[in-house]
Amino acid sequence: MFSYYLKLSLKSIRKNPYLSGLMMIAIALGIGASMTTITVNYLMSSNPIPHKSEQLYYVQLDSWSPHFPAQEPNEPPDQMTWRDANNLMDAQQAFRQTAMASSGAVIEPPDRDNKPFMASLRLNFADFFPMFDAPFLYGRAWEYADDKAGNYVAVISKETNDRVFGGENSVGRPITIGGQQFTVTGVLDDWVLVPRFYDVTTGAFKGTEDVYIPFAMKELMQLPNGGNTNCWKSPEGEGFEAFLQSECVNYQMWVELPTQADKNAYMAFLNAYAEEQKALGRFPRPLNNRLSDVMTWMENQEVVADDAQMMMWMAFLFLLVCLLNTIGLLLSKFATRTGDIALRRAIGSPRSAIFSQYVMESALIGVIGGLLGLGLALLGLQGIKQLYGSFVSDLVELDLTMVMLAIALSIVASILAGCYPAWRACSVPPASNLKTQ
Amino acid sequence: MLIMTNLEKTFRTDLVETHALRDFNLEVKEGDFVSVTGPSGSGKTTFLNIAGLLESYTGGTYMLDDYNVATLNDKQRSRLRNEKIGFIFQSFNLIPDLNLFDNVDVPLRYRGLGSAERKKRITESLEKVGLGNRMKHLPSQLSGGQQQRVAIARALAGEPRFLLADEPTGNLDSQMAKSVMTLLKEINLQGTTIIMVTHDPELAMQTSRNVFVKDGKICDAADVHTMPLASNQ
Amino acid sequence: MSRWELGPILRAMTRNKVGAILIALQIAVTMTIIVNAAYIIVERHTMMQRDSGLDEQNSFYLTTTGFGADFEPKRVITEDLDLIRRTPGVVDAIQINAIPISGGGWSMSLTTETGDDADDVNTANYMTDEHGSNALDFNIIAGSDFVASDVRWRERNQTDWPDKALVTKALAESLFPESPWQESVGKTVYIAEDEPVIITGIIDKLQAPWIGWSNLEHAMITPEYLVSESTRYFIRTEPGQRDRLMAELESTLADKYPNRIIRDVTTLTDTRERSYRQHSAMITILTTVMFLLTLVTAVGIVGLTSFNVNRRKKQIGTRRALGATQGAIIRYFMLENLLISAGGLLLGVVLTIALNMALIEWFSITALDWFYIPIGVVVLWVVGQLAVLGPALRASRVPPAIATRTV
Repeated sequence: MFSYYLKLSLKSIRKNPYLSGLMMIAIALGIGASMTTITVNYLMSSNPIPHKSEQLYYVQLDSWSPHFPAQEPNEPPDQMTWRDANNLMDAQQAFRQTAMASSGAVIEPPDRDNKPFMASLRLNFADFFPMFDAPFLYGRAWEYADDKAGNYVAVISKETNDRVFGGENSVGRPITIGGQQFTVTGVLDDWVLVPRFYDVTTGAFKGTEDVYIPFAMKELMQLPNGGNTNCWKSPEGEGFEAFLQSECVNYQMWVELPTQADKNAYMAFLNAYAEEQKALGRFPRPLNNRLSDVMTWMENQEVVADDAQMMMWMAFLFLLVCLLNTIGLLLSKFATRTGDIALRRAIGSPRSAIFSQYVMESALIGVIGGLLGLGLALLGLQGIKQLYGSFVSDLVELDLTMVMLAIALSIVASILAGCYPAWRACSVPPASNLKTQ
Repeated sequence: MLIMTNLEKTFRTDLVETHALRDFNLEVKEGDFVSVTGPSGSGKTTFLNIAGLLESYTGGTYMLDDYNVATLNDKQRSRLRNEKIGFIFQSFNLIPDLNLFDNVDVPLRYRGLGSAERKKRITESLEKVGLGNRMKHLPSQLSGGQQQRVAIARALAGEPRFLLADEPTGNLDSQMAKSVMTLLKEINLQGTTIIMVTHDPELAMQTSRNVFVKDGKICDAADVHTMPLASNQ
Repeated sequence: MSRWELGPILRAMTRNKVGAILIALQIAVTMTIIVNAAYIIVERHTMMQRDSGLDEQNSFYLTTTGFGADFEPKRVITEDLDLIRRTPGVVDAIQINAIPISGGGWSMSLTTETGDDADDVNTANYMTDEHGSNALDFNIIAGSDFVASDVRWRERNQTDWPDKALVTKALAESLFPESPWQESVGKTVYIAEDEPVIITGIIDKLQAPWIGWSNLEHAMITPEYLVSESTRYFIRTEPGQRDRLMAELESTLADKYPNRIIRDVTTLTDTRERSYRQHSAMITILTTVMFLLTLVTAVGIVGLTSFNVNRRKKQIGTRRALGATQGAIIRYFMLENLLISAGGLLLGVVLTIALNMALIEWFSITALDWFYIPIGVVVLWVVGQLAVLGPALRASRVPPAIATRTV
């Protein structure tokens, strides 16, 4: 029966090529617009580390001013002070933990012909790499002992390795970063995180860094602040050390807590820590510490841009218009076939057969429209890439899920659009129109 | 007065030239009831279309009440149709989405009559055909005969000088056909000129004059009473 | 009026409710989207038109980062500025800590009195010397500009502030809302609640680095050079000289002192483009959506009307036979569309306001100006009428003789 209906549908589509084409184009436009915006939103809100996103927690301590919160209504600061980051690291209360900062420095390749260049730096602890599943091409992460001892060790990105060492295995070789000689312990493979969840303070869709060095280098090398620095009071005293010891926040802290019990224990530890600091005259605000898992933190930081969401809702409305359009056109189309339907009914077609036949025709139009729509979505994503520039290029890939979704969406949409006209068609009484036709 | 002189109608395609009407001469006087008969494809309908200003012709002259039809533009012809001619079609041609009142109202609105005047005419003409109590009904709720009565009411409401009927009983059973014919005769008696195309000799016999068309020509303009097919009535 | 067939059209429409409702809904949703989209477009466009105060067409900047143990920032900066300022085609050049409208910079809060809980006003902070007014193209509209002796060197990690500052007129008004801005000259404001700075001059216009910031017009300049390996020069050129000087200065500076990296040589026009890219992209996308949507709706109307014309051919012929002129047939279809559109647009007005309220609720959108709604109504009405025109003309050409044809 299926193939018979398919044949009838194809015939009917060919009979009104313009009208059918119009419907397909309308569905294609609606699906294209929806898929483009859904894809952008889907990638923006995608889980960058699905298997352990519920075990990784961003740590917030409310060290802010007694007079006003870091952010209305009563949000703790989104970053941490140097002092607190180091205290929490020293405590080692989580399964894994890393405090982080960002910075930048000049890298001088050993080869004199190879020009020095500016590299982005991430300052972090050894746990950073296993916590965030950083893929290694050569070598491995440094040890916690290196962190403690302040050893000059570095993990470099594949790109940096290509640039400085011509892509060779550089483990154990020296590299000059910010005028200081480091030893390479590992080279990362390509590492794309969308969003780059571990630090979203200056935008969620930046690439991973060129070079990773121990957190302690901030102090040892007096590295400049990357990202945002916020202070609710001025540093007391002059110099780099005074700044580090101030209430200014510029550091991020992540912990890995495999179970709910671990999480509860860590929360209790944080609160105890805050009480301890209160006793020292810090933390003037009421207790307000937070542990947010990856997706909660992404939501809190509003990683999905308003514009992208707004466009998605508008695209859905667009699809709605296209469907209304299709329903109208299908109604008109089926209305001209009352004679045919009446004849079929008169020779014994059950109502359900007529219904199936017409829904099939709608679905067929939907599938063709949906496929065209996929093509349009690809174009749309290219357009978005053009408009927003390369920094969103990781955001504009169509994956298999999206393709399936597009096809499903177009079939569901077109069947929904086809139901009412098909129902109208199959309620034509048998033989009513035979006489006057 | 309707006078056709040497009227010709030719359909041209790239290959063929078909003469639908040729050397067609006819004069219909005020108050006539003319029937036009002839075999299928003889040109009856073409004649009616030209007479009703629905179609143009390719040669000869056609005068309708001192208007030379050839000189009129589409707008003037529409106006003439609206004011002087009423139509009755074989398949009634009522507008299915409109109730009886609105159906009869259609030509009156084109004439630009005021609403009181229109209402009066619609009511009167529907009453005249015996459907005064069904003004809010839709055509689909009526029988064929009733639908044709509505069509007649629609034609009459405009008080036309000429009533052109195209097989008015073609889609009706004999009972209904008879009552429609009676109605037409009544209308004719009240002074409206009627030209009726039919293939039914029995109907033709009831008119005051019959015109027999064959191959686009009038072959035989006979008095009803000398018609060869006259029955023994 | 009787020729306008309003009543019969309406009554006939109730026989074909679904078709009419579908078009009306389509028009309603289309209006909802295009009016809101148009509003957002205009809002973004207005935002993009804001003047930074700079001579954007003829300005660029670059970053130089020195390395190596023997790098002497003070000497290099002094010599660099001297060299750049003497280069033919350069209007002026400065060292500056941040670039207006670039997205990255320094901000701080100022108070007009000391104490912990004094109300603060946030402002962007620029650090440059007495050449600032010439390079950044601003005018001192009250008080006086810096002189060379005002300018100090801010050492690495130095946290105190100079005792003089220039502020924009907008900042002066925010700091001292009670008095005219001219009177702000000579007044003292406090950085970090306790460090006094005297306002010595008012700037007509200079924007902050962050275009999305509510205090975009708040800027303050303190007279200082920064001692740093990594430093930024802002260069204003004579008209038409920018591109040549960008390439020329990059190599001159690199040659003069090889132990450094010169990077991010960027024009202000590129910076503006990049900063506002999100908004210009939104404008392009929404414009495309508006266009496509209007097209889909219009084509839908054309399709449905054409279909109706085909279906009603006999009826049209009959109407012609009954005396309808071609004009009357066109009028019929136009009027029918006008009525359906009226229903759709009425609903559209409600939905437009509803969507706008939803956007206000969920996103940072402000309330629609009322006049967008009547404009939207008129535009869609016209679109509907234009869409119907084609099929209506075709309808008017249906030969009246079709009435006598028995199918």
